[in-house]
Amino acid sequence: MTLFVKYLHITAVALTGLTLGAQASQAPQHIDVKQFSRKVEDVVVPLPNEVFGALNKLGSVNWKDYVRSNRGNNFTERPRIALILGSVIADGFIAVQAKDAPAVKDIGQRVLTLSKAIGVGNSITPHAKAIIESADKNKWDNVRAELDRTQNSVQQAMNEVHDQQLSQLVSLGGWLRGTEVLTSVVTKNFSAGGAELLHQPDLLTYFQDKLQAMPEFNMQLLKDIHGALVEVKPLIDVGSQHISPESVRKINEITTRLDSAIVTKE
Amino acid sequence: MKRSLKSFVGRSLFVGLFFGAFLGARASVDDAQSFALQAAEPYVKEGFQVREDYWGGDLGIGEKKAVRQQLFKGNEYWFWMGTEVERAKVSVHVYDSEGKLAEQTDGWEKGHFAAAHIIPKATGSYFIIVAVEESAEERTHWALVYGFR
Repeated sequence: MTLFVKYLHITAVALTGLTLGAQASQAPQHIDVKQFSRKVEDVVVPLPNEVFGALNKLGSVNWKDYVRSNRGNNFTERPRIALILGSVIADGFIAVQAKDAPAVKDIGQRVLTLSKAIGVGNSITPHAKAIIESADKNKWDNVRAELDRTQNSVQQAMNEVHDQQLSQLVSLGGWLRGTEVLTSVVTKNFSAGGAELLHQPDLLTYFQDKLQAMPEFNMQLLKDIHGALVEVKPLIDVGSQHISPESVRKINEITTRLDSAIVTKE
Repeated sequence: MKRSLKSFVGRSLFVGLFFGAFLGARASVDDAQSFALQAAEPYVKEGFQVREDYWGGDLGIGEKKAVRQQLFKGNEYWFWMGTEVERAKVSVHVYDSEGKLAEQTDGWEKGHFAAAHIIPKATGSYFIIVAVEESAEERTHWALVYGFR
């Protein structure tokens, strides 16, 4: 055992002991949330598999029906490539749910190609390799973690060259694809619990704000996405009410339309 | 305030380096994040996927900061907070969108580590309130990571 591995084990053991002997301070049972900003910033956008994991617990899903690995034609517009990249990473999570190793490997290659096209290929090469190797060994947890690292590295590389907006489009692309699949699964076999997973009004506001702050990307596609988010908002921002089957179906139509528009040249 | 990390292993290595050689160097949010990850480490073995993204910043003593996060009913979440200021005491608690305490009772605080556990009763936005309760520093770096299963 190397010294480093020993160190990690000691740390883990120490922290396990620490959690057993520690208790949280008495927290107030209620806080006035109005004192905190209602503005949604510094959002960590959930990974598609956070939603898929919750969906799985409601009943079995035939994830193979949703696997695809043929996305991303030859585009040159960087905002579009960023959206496709997010969408392809989401496809990676779907392929992991389906335990489809060939699709995962293909997606790993595709992520690398798209990253190169957008100028951040160098930081993605080791992740793409790790995705492919882990898929070969059916180590699905490793693939999931590596897909998260891939998205994070892409976004970090973009942020380093002040392309934060492209970074946000990667998140948006993933969210759109995740929502398309979520609504498709719930439309096929409706449950109130499945529909409730769409209750994400703050995230929607976050994406709307980000899109509005991208005037330099004068693309019809981004305007269409913004318009679609405006359409979706009242369908999911229902407070304590249930999201209806009709709303789920409508959101599925909208996100499917956008998914197609992302890979359609204007 | 939102940050990113390179990789869990990379950060774990960084923690090792930190203990070995970095104690006297200038502290940063990245250091705080290494400690937050250290708190998360035992939970990875229990099947929690720790996100690469994290939140961070600095707070004065008694100061609180809220971050909002979308959580999904059906999942289970832990939020881990850390700071590199060893004699500091930090806390983290989770509230629902109405401001009602929503965490499980097995959250914990131990000096410069703290953690909160939530099994959401509803899908939606939650407030995660972080605070520096005590510290030898005027401003204390903090970082918050989360994991789910």
